[in-house]
Amino acid sequence: MIPGTILVLEDCDEDFETVSDAARRAGMTHHLRRAKTGDECVEILRQGDFLPAFVLLDLNTAGGDGRDALRFAKSDARLRCVPFVVLTTSANPRDLGFCYDDGANAYHLKPVRHDEHLRVLGEIFHYWLRAVALPQKYEALTRNVDSSPR
Amino acid sequence: MSTPIAPPPDASLPWASGPYSIKRHGVSLTNCDSEPVQTPGCIQAHGALLVLRLSDLAILQVSENSVEFFGETPEALAGRKVESVVGAEGAARLREVIDREPIERNSLYALTLPARGAAIALDVCVHTVEGVAVVECEATGRGEEDGAVDYFRGVKAAVGRMQAANGLREFCGRVAEEVRALSGLDRVMIYRFHADLHGEVFAEAKREDLAPWLGLHYPEGDIPRPAREIFKRIWIRPLPNAAGPLVELVPLANPDTGRPLNMTHCALRGASVMYSEYLANMGVAASLTLPILREGELWGLIACHHYTPTHFPYRLRAACEFLAQVATLQLKSAEQSEHLVYRLQLDGVHQQLVAKAARDGDLMALTDRHPSLLDAMEAGGAALYHRDRWWCAGKTPEPAQLDALAEWLNTRPDFASATRPAFVTDSLARDYPAGAEFAAMASGVLAVPLSRARHDMIVWFRPETLQTVNWGGNPHEKPLVTGPHGPRLTPRRSFELFTESVQRRSLPWSTVEIDSALRLRMLVMELVVTRSQRLAELNVDLTRSNEELDAFAYVASHDLKEPLRGIHRYAHQILESAPALDDENRTRVEGLMRLTVRMDSLLDSLLHFSRVGRTTLELDKVDLNEVVEEALEMVGARRSDGTFTVGVPRPLPGLNCDRVRVREIFSNLLSNALKYSAPGPARIEVGYLAPGETGPRPNAPAESAGHTIFFVRDHGIGIEPRHHEQIFRMFKRLHGRDDYGGGVGAGLTIVQKLVQRHGGRVWVDSAPGAGSTFHFTLPRGETPTLP
Repeated sequence: MIPGTILVLEDCDEDFETVSDAARRAGMTHHLRRAKTGDECVEILRQGDFLPAFVLLDLNTAGGDGRDALRFAKSDARLRCVPFVVLTTSANPRDLGFCYDDGANAYHLKPVRHDEHLRVLGEIFHYWLRAVALPQKYEALTRNVDSSPR
Repeated sequence: MSTPIAPPPDASLPWASGPYSIKRHGVSLTNCDSEPVQTPGCIQAHGALLVLRLSDLAILQVSENSVEFFGETPEALAGRKVESVVGAEGAARLREVIDREPIERNSLYALTLPARGAAIALDVCVHTVEGVAVVECEATGRGEEDGAVDYFRGVKAAVGRMQAANGLREFCGRVAEEVRALSGLDRVMIYRFHADLHGEVFAEAKREDLAPWLGLHYPEGDIPRPAREIFKRIWIRPLPNAAGPLVELVPLANPDTGRPLNMTHCALRGASVMYSEYLANMGVAASLTLPILREGELWGLIACHHYTPTHFPYRLRAACEFLAQVATLQLKSAEQSEHLVYRLQLDGVHQQLVAKAARDGDLMALTDRHPSLLDAMEAGGAALYHRDRWWCAGKTPEPAQLDALAEWLNTRPDFASATRPAFVTDSLARDYPAGAEFAAMASGVLAVPLSRARHDMIVWFRPETLQTVNWGGNPHEKPLVTGPHGPRLTPRRSFELFTESVQRRSLPWSTVEIDSALRLRMLVMELVVTRSQRLAELNVDLTRSNEELDAFAYVASHDLKEPLRGIHRYAHQILESAPALDDENRTRVEGLMRLTVRMDSLLDSLLHFSRVGRTTLELDKVDLNEVVEEALEMVGARRSDGTFTVGVPRPLPGLNCDRVRVREIFSNLLSNALKYSAPGPARIEVGYLAPGETGPRPNAPAESAGHTIFFVRDHGIGIEPRHHEQIFRMFKRLHGRDDYGGGVGAGLTIVQKLVQRHGGRVWVDSAPGAGSTFHFTLPRGETPTLP
């Protein structure tokens, strides 16, 4: 069985490594699928061969940023139910307003301190993978993908 | 041909039963307005008059002094043909003139009767009126016989000089000079009637030793209506000997018609007793008066006075008459050129004012310094309503009176007219009774609106005429000798009677002035429109650049933080993965991590500060006591928790301010007070001083006067006075980076910015060891906003 996938939009290698660290520390079995640009993120979502458990989104990335990916997903009937969790350095109230307006499910500030960064990520993983119930249809969709011929 | 004006007979008048004669009836002060000045029944005794039947030139009436001139009594002449007086040749000449010349109501020279024995040489003039021929004979006199004086040359030169004049006043001055040069009379005045019919000596030429009357004003009654009416019909009115005797016509009534002779056009017409006495009371012995008309109305008079009885020979009269007619013809163009000059002067000053206002960026320039609104318009005061207050120059009513007047003006339809929005009056109190309060300084009002929305306007004020003009017969002057009718017939007395009729009235506003005010209004409105367009453009630019700055600040802080996070991560990993790291290197790596964290807070402060000055304030009713409680929670302190106390001795007042930002002011100040407390339990006090209260205001800037002063006082380490200014500077720290709990040094800079956003000031009173008190004001919070 293919474990669930978490789609991570992150253009900074160090920050992506921190995400991986945090996932390992949390004992997660989920697969981390990385997109380096907003365009890439949109492309992965558009292909439709899987639905991520949730998307961890950095806002300011090169080549079409996280905002574009968020707007695309939330206006697509199939992708709308996927939770989008924003993790960004931007404390700009406009970004906050924009993200929640466009359907983001959570907005976290990315700390500079490494230990805090790990803590925030740990909390995110715990909350979205353990604390909340996600729609069943992910399972179904995942199974469908699973049984499809290679 | 219109019939002369004759008032309906009044049965109570002494002359109601028969023809009037000045000599028999005279007039009294009570009936002088009914005086039949056109049929006085008498002529001046220096000449003789014959009334002839037109058909056969038979003598119908003759003046009673006929013996003196013709050697025969009136009774002897009655009914005889005119030949018996002027000879056959003279009669033929008269017949020729009567038949061929335009002499209806227009006296023309016909012939000269040579001296015969005792009788002197006589100039004979004739005109026709109401079916009779009127023959007037006067001594030729003064070397006139041989035409020694060349009036033609004089008149020709005079007309040339008059036409070269520039503007009305100069033109009138020339007319006076030329008439005086021609006539040799002591004083020649151009007497101009104002719209309310009072008159002014507008130009004057006089004998040097005489006191000037130029600029003096005289009440309407000094030249009564019947006299003004006559001057619309005749071109000249000679009175060579005002005090001279009068002689009656014999008989008084025309035997053919039973009617008295209409003497309107007679040079010899006897003067009203009132007029001769008026002249005598001024010491004037002879007068010559000529009208100046404008579009059929009496514009003014050429009034000549002589202080000894004189003689006005026919040719002199004709020359003066000619000048008066030229004056009448030229008046309009002189007036137009005068208006043009005034108009250019008004517009010139107004354009200067608008240019100055454009340079200053403010309309207030219109009333301060020079030039101002008063430099162009002939007004006593001017007021500009702009930016919700009055800006005044010269003498104007009080602001409260101006407010009330403006409110009234704004209800008037003429003030809101689309084409000529202006209110113009020479008697404000007539339309606006409250104006009576300031009638002396502002009976005349010329007002134009500038902006309907904000009620901006310009108002000029013109004082009551009584206050401004030099009245002839100033009550302080000693009256001259008075005649039998007493002081009534002196300018002084008539002035007193007249004052009531000009109360609460100013000189009227001319069309030139009203037009210029309207043009100024257009200029100012254009200026305002241009400025508001520029402001709108600047605003768009400013908003755009603010947005760009905002975006830049966020992006910059984001981009700077990313490498910082990476550095912190690697340092963290080094510490974790190399437990064997020696102490020295461990300290170095820890230092690296601390520096990244510090740089992180610096970036946050910088970002915060960049936003504090630009976001809009959200003003709302705020209970400051709650705000201080919240601020204390934010800085992690509770009152009286053992190590320190925060006291609020009396409840703080409510304010209309931005709750979040005022809380930040308090949290920053409280945080500082806690940070820099002296060893031992700290005491902090939060309080205020209301505007009226007495209390120490150390270091308070002048701008804080009249505002509530808030303060946060600690008994901590204090600040040296030389640092009192520096502490508000961005990232300025007085102590080591990690002393007193660290911090980036942005707190007070942000406090200052937030206080400034509320229109206030912040300052400190402190000395080392004596604690610090931070004071601030929030003026914008004190003005309640409208719901």
